[in-house]
Amino acid sequence: MAAVTVSGGHTVRRSGRVPAVGGGGGSAETWKRHIVRQLKHRDLKQHAMFQDLIRFYTQLLEKSSLAKGILNVRCPPSDSSSLISSLQLQKSTGELAYQVVELQQQIKIKECVLEEQHARLVEEKCQLTAAFYARQELQEQVEQVKTKNGALKLEYDALLEQQRGAETRLREAEDKGGHLLEDMIHLKQRAADRMNNLNERRSRARAVKLQKDLLNSARSKVAVDSSSSAPTSRSASPKSEGRDENTERRGTRLFRSASATSPRIFTSIKELFDRKRRGRSVCSLEEDLMGPVGICLAARVPVRALQVLEAHEQGINAVRFSSSSDLLATGGTDRIIKLWEVRAGLMSHRATLDGSTEGITCVEFDPTGLRVLAASYDKSALLWRLDDSVPKLTLTGHSRKVTAARFSSSFHRVVTGSADRTIRLWDLHRAACVQVVEVASYCSDLVCTENCIISGHYDSKIRVWDTRTMNCLQEVPAQGKVTSLDISAEHRQLLSCCRDDCLQLVDLRRWSNERMCFRADGFKCGSDSTKAVISPDGCFLAAGSADGAVYIWNVSTGKLETRLPDKHSSSISAVSWSLSGEYVVSVDKSRWAVLWSDI
Amino acid sequence: MADDKDVLRDVWFGRIPTCFTLNPDELTDREAEPYYLLLPRVSYLTLVTDKVKKHFLKVMKAEDVEEMWFEYEGTPLKWHYPIGVLFDLHASNTVLPWNITVHFKNFPDHDLLHCPATSIIEAHFMSSIKEADALKHKSQVVNDMQKKDHKQLWMGLQNDKFDQFWAMNRKLMEYSTEEGGFRYIPFRIYQTMSDRPFIQKLFRPVSAEGNAHTLSDLLNEMLPSAVPNEGEQKRYQVVIHGIEPLLETPLQWLSEHLSHPDNFLHICIIPTPTD
Repeated sequence: MAAVTVSGGHTVRRSGRVPAVGGGGGSAETWKRHIVRQLKHRDLKQHAMFQDLIRFYTQLLEKSSLAKGILNVRCPPSDSSSLISSLQLQKSTGELAYQVVELQQQIKIKECVLEEQHARLVEEKCQLTAAFYARQELQEQVEQVKTKNGALKLEYDALLEQQRGAETRLREAEDKGGHLLEDMIHLKQRAADRMNNLNERRSRARAVKLQKDLLNSARSKVAVDSSSSAPTSRSASPKSEGRDENTERRGTRLFRSASATSPRIFTSIKELFDRKRRGRSVCSLEEDLMGPVGICLAARVPVRALQVLEAHEQGINAVRFSSSSDLLATGGTDRIIKLWEVRAGLMSHRATLDGSTEGITCVEFDPTGLRVLAASYDKSALLWRLDDSVPKLTLTGHSRKVTAARFSSSFHRVVTGSADRTIRLWDLHRAACVQVVEVASYCSDLVCTENCIISGHYDSKIRVWDTRTMNCLQEVPAQGKVTSLDISAEHRQLLSCCRDDCLQLVDLRRWSNERMCFRADGFKCGSDSTKAVISPDGCFLAAGSADGAVYIWNVSTGKLETRLPDKHSSSISAVSWSLSGEYVVSVDKSRWAVLWSDI
Repeated sequence: MADDKDVLRDVWFGRIPTCFTLNPDELTDREAEPYYLLLPRVSYLTLVTDKVKKHFLKVMKAEDVEEMWFEYEGTPLKWHYPIGVLFDLHASNTVLPWNITVHFKNFPDHDLLHCPATSIIEAHFMSSIKEADALKHKSQVVNDMQKKDHKQLWMGLQNDKFDQFWAMNRKLMEYSTEEGGFRYIPFRIYQTMSDRPFIQKLFRPVSAEGNAHTLSDLLNEMLPSAVPNEGEQKRYQVVIHGIEPLLETPLQWLSEHLSHPDNFLHICIIPTPTD
């Protein structure tokens, strides 16, 4: 067994328990246990009890011998061994002392280093605190800057909001503006289209008529005699290409032209031979000729209204009897001129002239009675031929409304006065403005005599101009703003109607002295363009009042002759006396026209 | 199994507390204090008493020092006996510690062997081992071992290294199973009052019938007077390693476990103390 416990398994030689011994299994253990116990007991008794004691004894012995040895050193060394040991001790003490000194030095060095390190540590701490404070300061600054930034940002945001709002508003306004512009363009477009349509229709109608006339005239026989050969050659003179139809028409009127006054014919022939190209001359030769001028023998003061009718769509501004026939022209805000024939006490509508784009301020017939001149709010003057509703001529150039347009004494001239403080002279042949006269004030009305043009102005002055040089010959003061002028038939007397309800009659030959002023109770000048007229025989003055009554004064007595009320509901804008003296027509702003007579 | 190992260890590490006192007749400079020491049972006196010598030489003059020898109560102690045997034989029932007197003079040449050097002890030890193995294995095992193994055995004893010693000694304790044990058990029986130093004879561990011999068989064979008869009081104590094993303990086991390092089973027969 013992071998087995010591070695692993030695096959050749193995000591195992002899089987015979196994017979007493219990007894085998008994003796073994006995032995084990005995050994333990023995050890306890003999070994353990004495172990510590002997150890301590031995140590003590050694110490005591050592002490003895040290003591023996003091004594004179008789023992070599004690001497040796004492020497050894001395050496060891010396060594120890040396070591002590060395160690002390090292300690000192280490202490120095430690102090140095302490000092450095303190320094570092100081720097650290300084850095810490600096950092804190910087942090505070950062905070401040941040808050400022925040405030700025808020302001910026607010401004941004405002700007955006303003932008949206701008955009809206722009949109609206665009829309308005579009609408306006649209309207203008429509008006232009209408105008174009109208023009087209008229031109088509004219073309058709022309064709018919051509056909008729081609069919009709013309009696041509040798006396009219000159005019024929005239008519064959070079004119613009668009004049073929005029040649035919001239053919029908040759008779009249032959009876013209001679100087005119000669100037015309001269012009022919000059081979002047007339271009688009709107005036043919016969129209330059004077027509018979009628004279009124006696005017009759009207007593009652013969006819009251609604003449226009909108307010009527001007009315004029033709000087050669019983035609009446009225014009107003509705942009058209209506021609009326007065016969047997009744006005009947004859024709309509349109073409003005804005309201009519003044209407005049030319002395022949064939042409109508009108001044319009659309800064132009228009000229019509009686048989043509489309204006033959449009004189543009003024920068504001044209208040008066008159035929000048020289026939192919027209004078216009305008609110733009100019008076313009126009040449009808060229359809151009030949002269512009700057005046100091708004010209409200004009009259023309043979040599002068007389204009009335808002600055209460009447100015007389020389026709040829257009110099101001005279300035006559009026009572107030001059609203209208009228001249008597023989060009002797000038009537001016003023805004301060006074009519003034001035003798043209004797300017300074004779000035007659006519007032009346209840007569108020209704507007800045109220028209007053002298009767054709020069005995009476007629004017319309703001109260809707027509006032008639007697020139010779200077007093109010009669008053014709109740027919107009609003202020009368103009009156006109017929050439025969029979009729007076007054028109007002509320579209009514009243025909007065004494019958 | 574990018990066997414990037994081996306990046997190896057994100690005897000893007090060495210098012989008063020795010339000393001053009074020598006794020296106490725990002596190993399995070792030899001259192997373990260097410190004693040194201790006592401190108080003695160098010229007075001859070979050290020990005696107990007048009996010189033979150094070639294991210490445990000496103690069991001479002072087993006395008061501990064992008081040994140290002598430096008057070496008893006819009683003791001289031991001038450690090599003498080694030679003696190795011869004991060889003799024991001759009995056990016809010297086969010992002769198979190399010189370094012998050296290991001696070094283990000298330096008190149990594992080192038994690494080699186990080979000496092996036997083939068919034999059931050693060839002959190596033993020596010591008696205090005897003309012979010890009894050593051939004895087989297993009987011819195959029964294992016990201690009592051995004693009956070798020293019948040691074994008490029926009814008689025990007159003698059979002490091995300071203990009295039961007489029915198998001899083979005893030889394996209770042998001394020199592979002999040293048995001491001492008279029972009468007190």
